[in-house]
Amino acid sequence: MSLTLYLIAGLFLPLFPLSMLFNQMFARLRHPWLRVLLLLAWPQIGVLLLSQAAAPVPDWFAGWALLSAAFYAYRAIALREVGLWIGYIATSAWALLWIGVVEPGLHHLLALGFSLPLAFTALLTGFLEQRLGAAHTALGGGMAIAAPRFAGLFVVAVLAAVATPLFPNFFSLLATLLSPASLSPLFGLGLMLIWLLWTWSGIRLLQGIVVGSPVRNGLQDLSMTATWVYSAGFVGLLLIGINMGGVLL
Amino acid sequence: MERLILAVIALPLMTALLTHLLANRLGRNVARISITGLTATFVVAAVLLWHAISKPGTHEIILGQTWGHLLYDPLSAVMGLLVSGISLIVHLYSRRYMAEEAGYARFFILLGLMTANLLILVAAGDLITLMIAWHLIGVLLYLLLGQDTRSPSAYRFGFWTLFTHRIGDLPLVLAAVLLFNAYGTWSLSEIFQALSTDSSAKTYLGMSLPDLTAGLVALSAFIRSAQFFAHTWLPYTMSGPTLVSALMHAGIVNSGGFLINRFAPLFVESGDVLHAVFVVGLVTAIIGSVLMLTQHDVKKALGYSTMGQMGFMIMECGVGAFSLAVYHLIAHDLFKGTLFLSAGGIIGEARKDDGVPKEDLYTFVVERKPARQRRPWLLMAAITLAVPGIILFLAHYLVEQAFFEKQGAVVLLFFGWITGAQLIFATHRMRTENLTRLFTLILVSFTVVVLGYTLIAHAFDLFLYPDPAFRARIYEAAGIDLIFFDLLVVLVTGVIVLGWLFTYYAEQQRLTERSWYHELRRRFYRAISRELYVSDAYAWLSRQLIAGANRVNTIMRWH
Repeated sequence: MSLTLYLIAGLFLPLFPLSMLFNQMFARLRHPWLRVLLLLAWPQIGVLLLSQAAAPVPDWFAGWALLSAAFYAYRAIALREVGLWIGYIATSAWALLWIGVVEPGLHHLLALGFSLPLAFTALLTGFLEQRLGAAHTALGGGMAIAAPRFAGLFVVAVLAAVATPLFPNFFSLLATLLSPASLSPLFGLGLMLIWLLWTWSGIRLLQGIVVGSPVRNGLQDLSMTATWVYSAGFVGLLLIGINMGGVLL
Repeated sequence: MERLILAVIALPLMTALLTHLLANRLGRNVARISITGLTATFVVAAVLLWHAISKPGTHEIILGQTWGHLLYDPLSAVMGLLVSGISLIVHLYSRRYMAEEAGYARFFILLGLMTANLLILVAAGDLITLMIAWHLIGVLLYLLLGQDTRSPSAYRFGFWTLFTHRIGDLPLVLAAVLLFNAYGTWSLSEIFQALSTDSSAKTYLGMSLPDLTAGLVALSAFIRSAQFFAHTWLPYTMSGPTLVSALMHAGIVNSGGFLINRFAPLFVESGDVLHAVFVVGLVTAIIGSVLMLTQHDVKKALGYSTMGQMGFMIMECGVGAFSLAVYHLIAHDLFKGTLFLSAGGIIGEARKDDGVPKEDLYTFVVERKPARQRRPWLLMAAITLAVPGIILFLAHYLVEQAFFEKQGAVVLLFFGWITGAQLIFATHRMRTENLTRLFTLILVSFTVVVLGYTLIAHAFDLFLYPDPAFRARIYEAAGIDLIFFDLLVVLVTGVIVLGWLFTYYAEQQRLTERSWYHELRRRFYRAISRELYVSDAYAWLSRQLIAGANRVNTIMRWH
């Protein structure tokens, strides 16, 4: 019974190939707020399911999770479409929740830490999709000149998504590293490799969207109000991260 | 007074925030806010250093329960003044230098954030704060290098820098996690205290924990300080603003030396790691210097010169001369910063006059100047061997007589001797109208440098590590078996002396004109000019990895 529950949880804390369901769903959702909702709720269902299981998670699940996380982190380095990239990074990050299984309350917080920065990035990506039809590097190059306010926020969003320190997912990742499973060198090194791949993929994406001469001229930038709202959101994210650092570590 | 360290960190952060808020209103005048803030930071840092000298001691300022601890000790006081000083110079220089560039305010905001981050790094009193600051250096540097958002090449090399820095972050994170799991605290002072009481008790997978964690910290320092195999980012970041190059080469790249000094209580428990540190530094110093000599581009040559200097700094740590490494990084900061900031002017002058000496016949017949000459090679060879040795011996004898009992000191003395000898050897190769004057100048400046170096390094040792027992333990940890050490010194001396003799002989016998020599030289030059193919290998590997990921994604239909 527990095994069935774990396998169902494997859909929500995505384990390959069960992870394909989430990625297919995420790719089909076009509305930014629906994406945000999915990013915030999906792993929480998985954590809830895990907390309902009677027996502890078998050890081999942690290995499966690490391989799934590494697989999606590796695949993300070739991506050029921001929406797909968010889905892959989310899959990679949530799979790590199998490794850092802690008491249910903290586990929900850990999952939220991974989801929040990605949700912000998804929301901001809506701007590109609205203006250009797609958030793809082939369409959106040179944003630093074409839409400087958006570009500045997008840089912060991508850095937040790849677990740059002080954002919540950095502390979630660090808490995962402190879990007993991560004390094995394979897991410790694996987690570090995954983190490195996230950065690689994120920076490649940034360079495709932000750098260079603008692909299209006359693009309307984010309004000042929206810029202030997003900026306040990122400051909030930093404060949540700093607070999480105190709670999780 | 100790709490002033908070002001040192807060001031550049506040100036960055104010610059952001007032950029539209003040236009180019916004730079004044940054410069005023940095001047105040520098003054407060100077006051703190003065206080640290007059009342030595270590104080911890605790801002958060788990993390957010700041250390006020001699190391953080010295480094704080250095960081704020270099940053102030860069700020002052940037005011006009960047005036025509787009993103003027952004540049000052990032400079302010980088300064604050570096100041947090040098004052970090716990592993989390240290890790965060260590990590953010790479991120901020990436953004600074990408100041020109139109330039894909600037971003490409910026990415290279960030990626290498990220690789360098990972061993430090692993070391921090292992130390936390072993001692149950993130506080550096508590960990060092625990280490000094039961260093041998903790193991991980059968390995001594101090050895393992010191190895990881050293690895992190190697990557950040551009040691061989992790050096490729350093000479290629010249597409960014010259000021960022100055900041990077004069400050950021030195952070490896700082890290090893910060973890000194860990390294004294792991002598084997110090030996590895010495070897890595030595290899980097040699390869960096060789690569520097083959560059045609002034800034790239400076980049490789930094690599060689970093190798020497890491090597100093490896022989136990930790405080000397701090002095070295300060000296390197100052002279490399000056070189980078004046590089533009020199390139401009070179466009008017290439400065390449003309042929002897030309100067004699056309310019009617006397022919330049060389001294006899045998005399020069004798001077080469003897003079630097005598100067170095006297300098150390006058400053600290017990110096020769430390193996590390002997190794450094040895390198000083080689450097001095190489300098004299170079004067033999030079052709000049007044060789005696040139030679005297070199000799006098060498004596002044060596005496100053020895005297200041000794003062640094007393200031940074006031406990004589701890100083002795560092040298002891870095030492090796005495017979083996002596044999090694004799062997290396023999090889070097034979090398010099061969070079003099080869010049006399005109061996350089033979075909086998040309072929050998051509092959060596090809390998060096391709920078030993290290960058090519990395570029190939990254292309393969991305192509592989693309293939997998296509097979998986992107789900």
